[in-house]
Amino acid sequence: MENENIKTGLKRRTFLGGIGLLAGSCPFSGLALATPTATQSPANGHITDAPLANTASPEDRVPFTGLHQAGIATPRPANGMLASFGVIAETPEDLEDLFRRLTARIAFLTVGGEPPQADPRLPSSDSGIVGPVVRPDALTVTIGLGVSLFDDRPWLVGLKPARLARMKRFPNDALDAALCHGDLSLQICANTQDTTIHALRDIIKNLSDRLVLKWKQEGNVPVITPGPDGLSESSRNFLGFRDGSANPDAGDESLMNHLVWVGAERNEPEWAQNGSYQSVRIVRNFVERWDRTPLREQELIMGRARNSGAPLDQPEASEFDVPDYAADAEGLATPLDSHIRLANPRTAETEDSIILRRPFNYSNGVTKAGQLDQGLLFICYQADLEKGFIAVQHRLDGEPLEEYIKPVGGGYFFALPGMRDDADYLGSTLIAALRKAQTQQS
Amino acid sequence: MKLQRMLTMAALGLVISGPALAQSELDLVEPIVEYKLYVTERTSQLVDGVTEFVDSIKAGELEKAKALYPFIRMPYEEIEPIAELFSDLDVAIDSRADDYELAEVDPEFPGFHRIEYGLWSNNSTDDLDEVADKLLADVTELHNRIEALTFPPEKVVGGAAVLMEEVALTKISGEENRYSRTDLWDFKANSDGAYKIVNLVRPLIVDTEGDFLKAVDANFDKVFTTLAKYEKGDGYVSYLELSEADRNALSAAINTLAEDLSTLRGKLGLD
Repeated sequence: MENENIKTGLKRRTFLGGIGLLAGSCPFSGLALATPTATQSPANGHITDAPLANTASPEDRVPFTGLHQAGIATPRPANGMLASFGVIAETPEDLEDLFRRLTARIAFLTVGGEPPQADPRLPSSDSGIVGPVVRPDALTVTIGLGVSLFDDRPWLVGLKPARLARMKRFPNDALDAALCHGDLSLQICANTQDTTIHALRDIIKNLSDRLVLKWKQEGNVPVITPGPDGLSESSRNFLGFRDGSANPDAGDESLMNHLVWVGAERNEPEWAQNGSYQSVRIVRNFVERWDRTPLREQELIMGRARNSGAPLDQPEASEFDVPDYAADAEGLATPLDSHIRLANPRTAETEDSIILRRPFNYSNGVTKAGQLDQGLLFICYQADLEKGFIAVQHRLDGEPLEEYIKPVGGGYFFALPGMRDDADYLGSTLIAALRKAQTQQS
Repeated sequence: MKLQRMLTMAALGLVISGPALAQSELDLVEPIVEYKLYVTERTSQLVDGVTEFVDSIKAGELEKAKALYPFIRMPYEEIEPIAELFSDLDVAIDSRADDYELAEVDPEFPGFHRIEYGLWSNNSTDDLDEVADKLLADVTELHNRIEALTFPPEKVVGGAAVLMEEVALTKISGEENRYSRTDLWDFKANSDGAYKIVNLVRPLIVDTEGDFLKAVDANFDKVFTTLAKYEKGDGYVSYLELSEADRNALSAAINTLAEDLSTLRGKLGLD
């Protein structure tokens, strides 16, 4: 009766290998590369599996073209960053200029190659931090648009995605204005941190007249060495628990069309089809206090065994096995207010609120109180922001875990649809819709 | 006019008859002479302004000292890249509380911003006499040293970008004048100083770098037009009144100018 695929995403653990990247056979030939396939169906659809040791290569290349943007249903590499910008665009032409130039940088950075050499008496065109030749390193750069981009521009406001809104404070939030919102987000992910930083610096340098950096948060996930069975597992977060076990299968196209990608039935502007809502939350973890909490209590708060990730009603199972809440209506095994049970009650009514999570752990330094400033750079994608993240967070409001976490920043963005081919650019459907609206008015 | 310039150049020791100079350096002799005249005029204004400022502090005239503060800084901010050639003086004159371990209460904290802290945060001219006298001595010393200085061409030309970097680093965020909130004055002075350098070397690149100059002019225009919205009397409103949209617009223009002007040395053949 239960559709296990909807509930858990993946019924079985998947084998390593084929991590969904195109190995770069000729990484330095620039845009002359054959157009990648239109849809990216990762061989491993469980995108939050921990990256495996010794499998990542600097030549890993994720296609930047496709029906959807890269970096969403793409297996999560070890490093990620979310950067938020103010946009300088006073006219549709300005916005098109931004999208085209940003796409050109993304195309170069994700394919790799040798940056042009300038007269050494001039500043170099490239920061040089990844060496004289830029290698793709599984880089993805995903563009999201914030509601302020639309609301602050009368010529754009009519094309705002229907559910896009400014992130409102939830009861446990302590939002820092300097870490919230933005006109445009870039999610930058790669095998190594240097590649993400290189990409950010390249974009800042090349688009200084269009993008003003507001805030950023970097993170990473642990790279693991698989056990003798060769099976994968979800990365652990800084609370010590596996995070992402119940993520939907990103390799299942119809499931992704249902949960993640905006489709024709969503009552959204036509240009937004094949895009997705991106929710970002910077969630500080009070790790010292957490580490002073009895293990059993931690597990009851989360709803999983810490070591194995197994649901509490099946201690011998794995993280990918599904808890049977119907048989535990009173929450004797898995408390009703445990994190995983509130987040995903696995009922027919809550099926539409399943989100695709793609978080990273962050570690920033020390607070004034001498505590570690660590936590989760939570990023998730959904076809409907209200039914997705917002509904999930409302269910979580007041959860026991709140004593140990404090969301301090983030925002909501709309991840653009993908670009068809090398001749297209990210954001082209929005610009086309703008032109159409202008023609109709004149 | 030409003769007068040549005489000035000779007097300044800038007409060098020794080892042959590259053509690019010869072309720069005249702009650099003019720039030196501009800078020494500014440091002269600085000494006059600080003299009046120090007098008002020592006379306990709090409001007068507050009113003078943003204006008398402007000549310094216009020529900051040259002042920075004397790092001991730049630190003594214009360092910020962040530069000191104990911040505002650090006994080492000197100069303009120490006085700014006293005038605004303590709302008083008390206990500022000593630091005020030291400031006057330092700006006078700066003026004298600059008069005796042979200006390095790469520092002059590179100064345009340096001024924009100054704005991008601390002015755009309002961190420079955090007690008085007079950052828009500094913003204007830094931009004027950078534009002065661009205009001095403009004849040398006007034929070859038309697009570059057009882009640079457009961004300076954006900076000056945006700042003009915040003019009040002879000066500006508080930094706190700068809108988010205008701060973004200024930040983008300033950073793009910093990018573009960072190529000016190379375009003029300077290493």
